Amino acid sequence: MIDPAITTLRSFRITERGTPMPSHTRLRRSLMLVTALAALAIAALVTLGGPPAAEAQRKKIVNIAAKEPDTLDPHSSTLGQSQAISRFMFRGLTRFAIKDGKVTTAEVEPDLAESWTLSPEGTIWTFKLRKGVQFHKGFGELTAEDVKFSFERQIKKAPGTRYGVNLDVIKSIEVVDPYTVQIALTAYDPIFLLRMVGYQQGYILSKKAVEKQGDQFKWNPVGTGPFYFERHAPREKIVLKAFDKFYAGRPQIDEVHWFDVPEDATKLIGLEKGTFDLLYPEAVTADFADQVKKMGAVIDRRGPGQQERFYINMTKPPFDDIRVRKAFMHAIDRKAIKETMYPGDLAKVATSCVPPGYFGHVPMQFPEHNPELAKKLLAEAGYPNGITIKNYFISKSFFYPKVLTLAQEQLKQAGINVELQVVEHATYHENIRKNLNPFVLYGRTRITDADPWLSLFFDGKEIPDPATGNKGTNFAHYKGIDDLLHAGRVERDVKKRAAIYAEAQKRMERDLVCLPISDVPGQWARNPKRVSTPFAADYGEFSLHYSYNYPELLKVLN
Amino acid sequence: MFNYVARRLLLAVPMLLGAMSIVFFAMRVLPGDPCVAMMGDQATTEALADCTRNLGLHRPLAVQYADYLWRSVRLDFGNSLRQGYPVSEYIGRMFPHTFILVMASAVVAVLVGVPIGIVSALKRRNPLIDYPLRIFALLGLSMPVFWLGILLLIVFSLRLDLFPLIGGGDLDAVLTMVRSGEVFSYPGDFFAAVGDVLHHLALPALALGFTLAATVSRLSRSAMLEVISQDFIRTARAKGQAERAVVYKHALRNMLVPLLTIIGIFVAIALTGTVLTETVFTRPGLGKMLVDAISARDYPLAQGAITVFTMTIILVNLIVDMLYAVVDPRITFR
Repeated sequence: MIDPAITTLRSFRITERGTPMPSHTRLRRSLMLVTALAALAIAALVTLGGPPAAEAQRKKIVNIAAKEPDTLDPHSSTLGQSQAISRFMFRGLTRFAIKDGKVTTAEVEPDLAESWTLSPEGTIWTFKLRKGVQFHKGFGELTAEDVKFSFERQIKKAPGTRYGVNLDVIKSIEVVDPYTVQIALTAYDPIFLLRMVGYQQGYILSKKAVEKQGDQFKWNPVGTGPFYFERHAPREKIVLKAFDKFYAGRPQIDEVHWFDVPEDATKLIGLEKGTFDLLYPEAVTADFADQVKKMGAVIDRRGPGQQERFYINMTKPPFDDIRVRKAFMHAIDRKAIKETMYPGDLAKVATSCVPPGYFGHVPMQFPEHNPELAKKLLAEAGYPNGITIKNYFISKSFFYPKVLTLAQEQLKQAGINVELQVVEHATYHENIRKNLNPFVLYGRTRITDADPWLSLFFDGKEIPDPATGNKGTNFAHYKGIDDLLHAGRVERDVKKRAAIYAEAQKRMERDLVCLPISDVPGQWARNPKRVSTPFAADYGEFSLHYSYNYPELLKVLN
Repeated sequence: MFNYVARRLLLAVPMLLGAMSIVFFAMRVLPGDPCVAMMGDQATTEALADCTRNLGLHRPLAVQYADYLWRSVRLDFGNSLRQGYPVSEYIGRMFPHTFILVMASAVVAVLVGVPIGIVSALKRRNPLIDYPLRIFALLGLSMPVFWLGILLLIVFSLRLDLFPLIGGGDLDAVLTMVRSGEVFSYPGDFFAAVGDVLHHLALPALALGFTLAATVSRLSRSAMLEVISQDFIRTARAKGQAERAVVYKHALRNMLVPLLTIIGIFVAIALTGTVLTETVFTRPGLGKMLVDAISARDYPLAQGAITVFTMTIILVNLIVDMLYAVVDPRITFR
C-alpha cells in the first residue's frame, strides 16, 4: 500500500513540470462538453419520434388500454382481460339477443348456428350451422366437426382448458353432416342455449388450427370473429386486424391495438392525450369517473357485472347461531359501503343473492342496518361482550381490502372485532377454501341464470373441505336448497323454474347465509369523439364478456 | 488478474445456486397455489387437480427441485405457467429494456448526484449552498418514483406533448439490426429506431435517475467528506495549492474507489426501482414481469427473473471490483 502523501507528491511534480493544460481546466471543459451534449440529446429526443396518432388516422385503429391477457385461447382463461379480447376473435353458436336496441342476457339468438330444434324428451339438440362462415388465416369453412371438437376438447379436459365443467351435461356429440350437429345431453338442461352463447365454453375454434398449433394455439388463435390475431409483443401490445371474410361483414375498424397498461392513472392520461380510445379500467372509482367526465369522455356501463357479497359460514361457531348471523347483517350498512365504494350511479345496492339480469332473480329482504339490535342479538346468543375474530384473511387486491375495512369499522360498532391480515390474492383464494375465514367476501360473474349461479355458491356438493380436498365455493356451507336446485334442473316450464328459484331465494333469506352488498356493472371508458357504439352508454348492453358484446359494431369517427 | 476473475466466477456459482434455491423454496413456501391464482373462482377440486398435474406440480418437491436445477444448468428455465412462453425467450426480450433503463438512470443519477454530493461536502460550512442541496437530496429520497413518474408524464407527455406516454420503443428492431449487420446497410433506419428507443427512455430514466440521484449524492457526499479529511489533502493545502486543484486533482481521484462501490450498490437499488418505473411508464421489462410472476405464482418465470437479477448483480460487482485496480493502481489482485 502506497502512502497517500507519495501520490500527492507525484501529482504535485507533474503539475510543476507544467502540462499544457491543468487537469482541473480539462475537467471543467469536459464537464461543459457533457452538458452541451446532454442538452443536444434532450433536444434531439424531443424532436424524434412522430406521434403514433398519425398512423391511427390513416388506418382506422382503435387503441385500447387494458391489462395483458394471459392467453388468447378462449377456453383457457379466467381473467377478465383475456375473456374481453376473446370476444373480438371468437363466436359461438348463439349470442345474447339484441332487443329494442339493447343487448340482453335473458334471451339468445342465432349466431354461428342458423337454427336449432330440441327433441320432445328434451335431451337432443340439433343445430343447423350457418353456411359459408370462414375461419381466420385460411383455416377454411366452419363445419360441424369444429363444433364437436371445440366442445369435446373441453369435456375431455385438454390441458389448460377451464370450462369443461359447464359442458358436463353433454353426453355425446354427433356430426350429422358438415352443417348439422346433434348434441345429446345426459338430462334436460334448461340453460343449454345460454351455455352455447359465444362466451367461455361456448366459443367455436378451428379444429385444424388447434391440431396444427398444439400448445402454441394460445398465442396463435383462430376463430370466426370479426377480428383476427396479428401479433403479440409481450408486455407491450396485441394487434388484431379486421377480418374481411367475417360472416356478418367486415368491421369498419381496421385494427385493434390492445396495449398492456396496468395502471389506471396512466390509462386516464392516455385517454386525455388521445393515445387511447377505450379503457378497460382495473376499478372505476368516483375519482376515475369524475376525470373521465371532465375530459369529455363517457363510461359505458354494462350489466349484470359483478356482485360483491358476504357468505357466512353457518357451520362454524359463532356464526352457526342464526342470531349471530343476523347480528352480523344488522351491523353492516350496505348502502354506506356501496356509496363509499361506488358513489351515485357507479353501482347499485344489491337486492338479492341472485343478481338482477340473471334468470330467476327476485328481490330479497335483508336485516336493516341497526348496530344496537346487533349488540342485543349478540348478547342473546351468549356474547354480551361482543366477538373477536382473529387472523381474518383478506386479499390485498381489487375491492377486497376496501370493502372489508369499511365493514370492519361497522362491525366494530356492533361489538364484532375483526383483526385483519392482508394477503396476496392467491393466498386469499387458498385460505378461504381452507375455511380459515368465518365469513367470506367474494365477487364474480357467471352464466346469467340462477341455476349455475346457485349451484356454484350454494350447492351442498361445493362446500370446501381441506380434509377431502374439495375446493368448492359454497363458503356459507349451505345445504338448504339442494332439493330446489335439483328440481330446477329438470323443470321445463319457464314459469315453474322461476318459482323454484324464487323459493330458493326465500329460503336463503330465512337462513341468513348471504349478504350481497353492491351490484357493480362492467365499465369501460370511451372517447366518444373517436369511437362510437350503437348501444346506450348506461346499461344499453348486458354482457358477460368484460367487453362490448359486439365489437364489430364499434366505429371510428375520424 | 485471470486467476482472480476465474476465482470470482467460481465463487459466483454457489452464490447463484443459493439464490436459486432460496427462490425455489420461498416461492413454494408462500401460501397460494398457481392453479388457484390462475383459475380464480373456476377452481373446482377436479379442475385444480388437473391443472396441478398438467403443470407437473404434483411431483414431490425434491423431484421438482432436481429437475429445475438440471434444466437451469442447460439454461432451460421452463415455460411460463401463465402465458406458456419459454422463460428464457421471455426474459431475453425483457432484459434489454430493463438493462437500458438501469444504465440510463445510472447516467442521470451520477450526473446529478455526484456533483451535488461533492459540492455539498465541500461547501458544508456554507448553509446557503449546503442546505438547498441537502433539501434536494431529501426530496429525491422521499419522492416515490411512481409519483414523480406520473408528474413527469402529466407535464411532459400530456401537457407539453414532448414524450410518448407508454412503451419502450422498438428495441427489438435495434437489436435485430445490430445482430444482422443491417446497421451499416440502413444507418438512417437504425438511428431512427435508436432515437425512438431513447425518446421512450428519457422520462423513465429521469424519474428513476432522479430518485436514485438523492442516494448517490448522499453517498458521494460522505465519500468526499472522508477523502478531504485525509492527511494528504491537508498536505496539498499546506503546500499552497489552490483549492480547486486540491479538489480536482487529489480529492476527486481518491473518491473514485468509494464512487465505484456506490455504482455497484446502485445497480442493485436501480433494479428494484425498475419495478415501479416500468409500471408507471408502461414499459416492458423484467421488474414488472417479476412482480406479476410472483403474484400469479408463476414459478418458472419468477425463478428465471430472479436468477437473471442475481447474475446481473454478481457480474456488476465483479466488474466494479476489477475497475478498482484501474482507478487505483495501489490495488492489485491476488
